[in-house]
Amino acid sequence: MNMDSWIIVTEDGPIAGMVAAARGLGGSVTAAVVGSRALADAVAVTGPDTVRWFATDDVVPPEAIAGRVADEIAATSPRVVLSLGNPAARVLLAVAAARLGAAVVNSVPRLTTEADAVVITRPAVEDKVVETLEVAGALAGVFDGEDVEQGTPVAATVSAVPDADVRASMRIVETTTTGGESAGLLQADRVVGVGLGIRRKDDLAMVEELAAASHAEIACSLPLSDDMRWYDASHVVGTSSSQISPDLYIAVGVSGQPQHMSGVRNAKVVVAINNDPDATIFKKCDYGILGDLYQIVPALTAALKET
Amino acid sequence: MKTVIVFKWAKNPQDARVSADGSVDWRSAKMSVSDDDAAAAAVVLDIAGDGDIVGLTLGNGDATWAAARGASSTVSVTDAEPNADSAATAAVLAAGVRHIGEADVVVVGDCAWDQMVPVSLAAQLGWPALAGVLSATPEGDHLRVTRRTAAGAQVVDVSTPVVLVVAARRAEQTTPGMKQVLAARKKPLEKVTTATLGVTHDCGVRVRGTELPEATVARVIDGTDPAAAVEQLLAALRSEGVL
Repeated sequence: MNMDSWIIVTEDGPIAGMVAAARGLGGSVTAAVVGSRALADAVAVTGPDTVRWFATDDVVPPEAIAGRVADEIAATSPRVVLSLGNPAARVLLAVAAARLGAAVVNSVPRLTTEADAVVITRPAVEDKVVETLEVAGALAGVFDGEDVEQGTPVAATVSAVPDADVRASMRIVETTTTGGESAGLLQADRVVGVGLGIRRKDDLAMVEELAAASHAEIACSLPLSDDMRWYDASHVVGTSSSQISPDLYIAVGVSGQPQHMSGVRNAKVVVAINNDPDATIFKKCDYGILGDLYQIVPALTAALKET
Repeated sequence: MKTVIVFKWAKNPQDARVSADGSVDWRSAKMSVSDDDAAAAAVVLDIAGDGDIVGLTLGNGDATWAAARGASSTVSVTDAEPNADSAATAAVLAAGVRHIGEADVVVVGDCAWDQMVPVSLAAQLGWPALAGVLSATPEGDHLRVTRRTAAGAQVVDVSTPVVLVVAARRAEQTTPGMKQVLAARKKPLEKVTTATLGVTHDCGVRVRGTELPEATVARVIDGTDPAAAVEQLLAALRSEGVL
């Protein structure tokens, strides 16, 4: 039974984890990288057999060549196509799925095979249950599992797919980068997140001191940027903002709303500091301190400085 | 531009009942609007101009939501339910868009409940799509679409037809007043079924079942004595290897 797979990549993320998940099916793994040569080279060392590189530039968005990428994928009739959940990758995944007539699954953290079926186990209903799905035919899925350390840094061959005439239905006319800090946040091993438990803007200094003592980047929930304007949008973590995957996430005065917590789903260890015993975050963290953050945070900063 | 707004096509998982044996009962969960639906409605008003706005929804819930936000009429596919195969749900919506006919733009919320339905809708229509859309303005017969990227934002010039998948930055700001809500009930509502639309898409996903997750109870430390609590936390974090 064909267990060959493709992954579609348009930006950085837990790509080695996605390759490992595809690799577990037992077939070949081909990466379709849509973007810069640097991205293609980065994907080449995450473990795929081959990399097909579709160059885009400052004018052509990845979505403009979705049809070409889908043609290339469909020509090999793979069993599984995976992508990350960023907007451009999802558009490309859907086009490939339609071309293959594949079933589409919106969250695929883990994949296994049983006889000829591909089996997915995933959290569902706001993480209240674990759901098991079975797909008998072709599958297109959004990989939202964990990243892995790359075991074999042997680079796969990168071959460029020649430019075709791009139907000019889309053209990038302006690109803005909101603050240089968001890239740091996306890559950070440690992140301190701030929520509405902080009472005054001046009190952020206390949280920033904790971040400095723990060598962490600062993130915040949406209201701190949109309503309070204490941080710019590049610091916001959540559903329609940045998704981060640090080793350690310390949530200070964060209630734990799903819109925010979906952005830290891939954090290895989540610590919550909150004075509300009923706060949702105590159900979604690994460790919590139930207490006044105005006492706990300075104590934690002091203890970290000593070590 | 003739614009279709797709709304209330998913169920809110908060409304599902989970039993002690891990089974999930969706019967009491109605089709819901999300914050993204409201953001989509706001984008539609920005781009529609003098053009017609038509609402498209699934299931048998109250279908007047879009009519209270500018739609002149609504089509409801009454017997359609959200499917574990996003392509199957999208096939119903794509048939609905074709039934409405002659649309230039389809606007749909980028829903966290099923992030593959809106993009699959575009793929099945065979239309180009942009997701993560924050706003859009018409420019002649083109649209200037602002969408978020990992690094910030991008303005993309697109021609029609196109599907715009809109991501909410926040909850709906101005909800319709009583006058709009009452007027919406008088606007035309066409009820159709998957059979009349001729939807034949098979579901490619079988749900084997659900079970309760292994209890991952957080270790909550009493913070009455901050220094002692912090000491316990740091010991735990060291043993996890994250410090």
